[in-house]
This record gives sequence, C-alpha cells and structure tokens, in this order.
Amino acid sequence: MNRALYAAASGMAAQQQNLDVIASNLANADVVAFKNAQALFEPVGPNAMLGTASTGVREIFTQGKLEKSGGPFDVAIDGAGFFVVERDGVQGYTRAGAFARAPGGTLRNADGWTLRGVRVDVNAQRVDVAPNGTVAALAGNGAVSSAGQIALAAFAAPEKLRAIDATVFVATPGSGAARRLVAGGDRQPKIVFGMLEKSNVSIVESMMAILAAQRAYEANSKGVQAADEMLRIANNLHRS
Amino acid sequence: MATAMHAAKSRLDIAAANLANVSTDGFRKRVAHAALTAKGLVTSSRTDETGGPLRHTGRAFDLAVAGPGSFFARDRGGRTIELRSGSFERDAFGRLADDRGNVLLGQHGALRVAPDATIDARGIEREAGGTAGTLRVRAGTAVQSGFLEAANVDAVGEMVQVLEAQRAFETAQKTLSAIDEARQKDVNDVVRVKS
Repeated sequence: MNRALYAAASGMAAQQQNLDVIASNLANADVVAFKNAQALFEPVGPNAMLGTASTGVREIFTQGKLEKSGGPFDVAIDGAGFFVVERDGVQGYTRAGAFARAPGGTLRNADGWTLRGVRVDVNAQRVDVAPNGTVAALAGNGAVSSAGQIALAAFAAPEKLRAIDATVFVATPGSGAARRLVAGGDRQPKIVFGMLEKSNVSIVESMMAILAAQRAYEANSKGVQAADEMLRIANNLHRS
Repeated sequence: MATAMHAAKSRLDIAAANLANVSTDGFRKRVAHAALTAKGLVTSSRTDETGGPLRHTGRAFDLAVAGPGSFFARDRGGRTIELRSGSFERDAFGRLADDRGNVLLGQHGALRVAPDATIDARGIEREAGGTAGTLRVRAGTAVQSGFLEAANVDAVGEMVQVLEAQRAFETAQKTLSAIDEARQKDVNDVVRVKS
C-alpha cells in the first residue's frame, strides 16, 4: 500500500507540473513567437512501481503563423533560425521580432533586448528590411542609407537551448555553438518585414490537454485515497 | 486470507503505478494476474504491449508507427533494436538520437539529416535539397512524423482496478476478522470447559 501511496502521489505531482506547463502555454498564446512547451515524464523503478518523475520541459520549435503587424520595425523569420540579441552583455537568441527604436539608433524589444548588427540613423523616418536582412534607413528628404544587416543564428540542436525569458534563449553545451546564417538565399530562411510570428500554441489542443491532466490528477488522488483506506483497514485488523 | 490481502495490495500497487504514468509517452502498462497456488493467492504481473493512442506534437522528429510495424535504432550498447515510437533530437553530427541514447538507423548505418528535414510515411527523409536518406523500417510500416505514442493506460480501467483491489482487501479483512472471532470463541469455550 505504501508503494501504491507513493506511486499515486508521484502521479499527482506529475499532473500538477503538467497543468503548470499547459497553463503557461495558454497564458502566452498571444505572445509574439512564444513556443509551446511540453512537460515530459518517465517511469521510476522496476516495472514503474515507484510511479513517475519529470524529465524536464521541452519547447517545440515549429514555425508559428506570420501575421501582418503595424509596427514600423517589426520583423519575422520565415524558416529556421533566431535573431541575435543582447542585454547587459548576455547574448540571447529569439524569434520575437517586435522591435522599437531605442536612443542611440539601436532596435530594442519590450524586454530590453537589443538587436545586434543594426543601427538606424537618428534622422531616418522609416526603415525597410530586405529578405536577406539588410536594413535600409529612409530619411525625410528621400536619402537612403544603410543601417546594417540583421544576422540570424542557427543551432545544431535548438531544442537544447535554455529559455531565460519567455521568448529569449541562450546557448548550452547540448545545443552547440551558434552558427551564423545568412538569410534570403536559396533554401534559406527569409526575414519578413512588417510581419510578426504568432505563438505556435494551439488553444484547442491546450484546452484538451488541461481536461486530460485534471482527470488524471483526480484519478491519481483516488489511488492515494484507496491506499490510505487500505492502510486504515490493515491498522484495524488488530482489535483488543 | 492474508495472501488474499497481499494480492489485493499488489493489484493496487500495479494500478497506482499505471495511473501515475498516464502522461508518460510510450509507457506500457502492467497487468496483474492472480493465481491460486498451494501457498495461497499469488499475484504476478506482465507488460501489456498493446500500442497506445498517437498524440499529436507537431515536431518533425517525433516518430510513431500507425498500425503494425516498427523502425530500427542502435542502442547505447551497439545493439540493433526495434522501436514503435520515440522523440528524437538532432545531435551535432546530424544524427537523430532519443534521450536514452538510441540512434535512428537508415539504410546504411545511422541516419543523418538536415535541421529542416521531414520524414514521410514510408520513412523517406526529405530536406530542402531533396531526399537524403531512408529510415530502416519493417516492411509495411507507416511512419507518422509529428506524433508520439502515448501511454496505453486507460484511466477508467485503472480506477476500476483500484476500487476492486480496495473491496477485495476489505472482503479479505472481514473474512479474516470472522475467522479470528470464531477462533476467539473456540478458545474462550475451551477455557470455560477447563475452569
């Protein structure tokens, strides 16, 4: 019974974690370039007699839909790869391309991550981004100047990247080092200007996952109750 | 009767372990089997190898098999094994390995793929430059990319097992108590005769 008690309790803990991850997915379903995460579990002990344990959370890096946006500095990646961003000396990688002009001419997102390789002239009224990532700054008098090129980074194993922000990742030994990727070429990802990548969270699938996790939690709690009840009966075997 | 209580306890242990793993991809449930022997009721268990339902993940390197069949991989010890489902990740050499270190096999050794590769139903791996390799599969296997085989645990069935185990335990306990009471009476009567 004790084994059943602990196995069922581990099942409850697992479903709790499962619910946390699904709830976070749903909460971030409208966040630009958010990637759906999934909790993974494995059986513990011979014949899974000790229940289950978490083996971590994994992001699923499938492409989100590209949606037209109003932002004058919005970019999205059509294909694999990440924008290279920097904050406080930390190099990060993100697919979220909602940038705004910061003092000094750099492009920065809402969380303070600065896009590398781009500096827009202060006199420029608007920019234009080519599919290969070159940024052209257009001044009011019609003059066009170069504002740099957006570099993309690719990884051998992007799923081993570590999330340090909702949509920003850092490299790990497992992911391998960042490889520079030039966009726009044949069979290469393209940088799309004036669009944003939506999250790849499916609301319907997440809702279904919540229902399943809740029921599984309940079933495991019944397992705990049954084990407890049997322990009570065993204790009452001896009557004086 | 004590062995009957043990048997009920074992059944609960197995049902609880199955329930705990209802969200573990690829998990195969254990099925309890009770046999009446000279030593009383003995419970054994075996693994139910029935395939679980396929769950959509959308990842290109999550592979499962629809219907009969399997695909081949090499485990850490270098043995060739057959798998029905697995979540693979591309390593730095372009090979696909799961978290247990099983490496997917192609027609000639480990399959090597590009990061943007997809795998079709016949196990042919396609990437931007065309097809690059073919997964080694049993003839007639329909490979499903973007799916994982979920646990084959049926929560309703396991709940019934939990209830049955609990009631069987109660029944055994009641019977044991009845025997105990009868013995107590015997002992008391015998004592009364002697006194």
